[in-house]
Amino acid sequence: MLSLLPKDFEFFITMGDSQYSFSLTTFSPSGKLVQIEHALTAVGSGQTSLGIKAANGVVIATEKKLPSILVDETSVQKIQCLTPNIGVVYSGMGPDFRVLVRKSRKQAEQYHRLYKEPIPVTQLVRETAAVMQEFTQSGGVRPFGVSLLIAGYDDNGPQLYQVDPSGSYFSWKASAMGKNVSNAKTFLEKRYTDDMELDDAVHTAILTLKEGFEGQISGKNIEIGIIGTDKKFRVLTPSEVDDYLAEVE
Amino acid sequence: MSRGSGGGYDRHITIFSPEGRLFQVGSKAAGVTSIGVRGKDSVCVVTQKKVPDKLLDQTSVTHLFPITKFLGLLATGMTADARTLVQQARNEAAEFRFRYGYEMPVDVLSKWIADKSQVYTQHAYMRPLGVVAMVLGIDEEKGAQLYKCDPAGHFYGHKATSAGSKEQEAINFLEKKMKNDPAFTYEETVQTAISALQSVLQEDFKATEIEVGVVKADNPVFKVLSTEEIDEHLTAISERD
Repeated sequence: MLSLLPKDFEFFITMGDSQYSFSLTTFSPSGKLVQIEHALTAVGSGQTSLGIKAANGVVIATEKKLPSILVDETSVQKIQCLTPNIGVVYSGMGPDFRVLVRKSRKQAEQYHRLYKEPIPVTQLVRETAAVMQEFTQSGGVRPFGVSLLIAGYDDNGPQLYQVDPSGSYFSWKASAMGKNVSNAKTFLEKRYTDDMELDDAVHTAILTLKEGFEGQISGKNIEIGIIGTDKKFRVLTPSEVDDYLAEVE
Repeated sequence: MSRGSGGGYDRHITIFSPEGRLFQVGSKAAGVTSIGVRGKDSVCVVTQKKVPDKLLDQTSVTHLFPITKFLGLLATGMTADARTLVQQARNEAAEFRFRYGYEMPVDVLSKWIADKSQVYTQHAYMRPLGVVAMVLGIDEEKGAQLYKCDPAGHFYGHKATSAGSKEQEAINFLEKKMKNDPAFTYEETVQTAISALQSVLQEDFKATEIEVGVVKADNPVFKVLSTEEIDEHLTAISERD
């Protein structure tokens, strides 16, 4: 777990951890890991995010509601790139998300250095999930308060995975997380078709976000990331998002 | 060695409560309010200078710290934690300059501070720092920048923001002022910041009762204003009203 943090922080870990060489996440009499349940609650109260796998690509999207109009929205980007062909979005605690992004990027790079090949999506998902699981069992730490939606396009085609605070992960055709999860999933179940194209998926993603959106939706308060057959993950600019929004009207 | 009950959701360490929140990261008792405003090509931060005891040397009481020649940090909250943070930030910024050959940008320093704060929220043996840090500077590409980092590890760029006891009132005041994305000049930036503080705390300050820090694009050095300079701005505000 040491390599999870930037070099400067490692010193503090080796110094203090010994007093906490027991797990904070322990079993309840009913066999549940209560801290993980609470982490999921943290995810469930986070802003809605979703992902849809199309026949020729994947789209992920999230609400971007900021605490005040005084916040400069250009300074915040919730959807992040892990490799040129893999992107990720989250619901839950932003600071925890940054840690996982940093770690995943490093793991992807280490894989590439060893195998001279871009990391397959499944491998990166597996390694990220392993990190999240570690924090449910290691001494002196708490689980991550985020669920991730990892979207990628590699030799196995377009893929979408969801990873939970427990470290369990599943592949999805379409999924949602956060506040409006049940409505969003119902909406997606109705609208999803196996032969959707990426453009349709983007429209469906926008409509799903719109369902539970409080206030006026615009390119400034949602974020959309797409990856197509070009295998290049990118986040749409606010004006591109506005264009899609206009098409949806 | 088992941990005993743990049924009280240990408010002492950083684990989740049933509502999915972290106890340790909540409010930080300040007693002092701070304000930051970003103009078109300048940034100004203002904070109360509360000297609790007349016998104290006033010049040693400060919440405003230069991190490098070009970056400033306003720390609101526990002063001891602030000094630790400033010390580490200064070290990090200096190493960055040495390692990469250019000055550490505002957003990079803010991210570093925020990521460090996140570690304290996840590892039991260290408590979060009781400080909200406002970092200001002029970015080579993006111009005037104001970032705020909190103990939870959140950080955002701001057009204007506040921290401390009257944080919410100040933010309400600033939201009204900044509603139509005004592009303040340097004088307007400083006066907005100072008058926001005066309005929210409902008192007129003397120059010795507040601290003001600025950066301007034409000379991107972080500067703490002297009492005379603060007085000029205070006079301008009272003449304006």
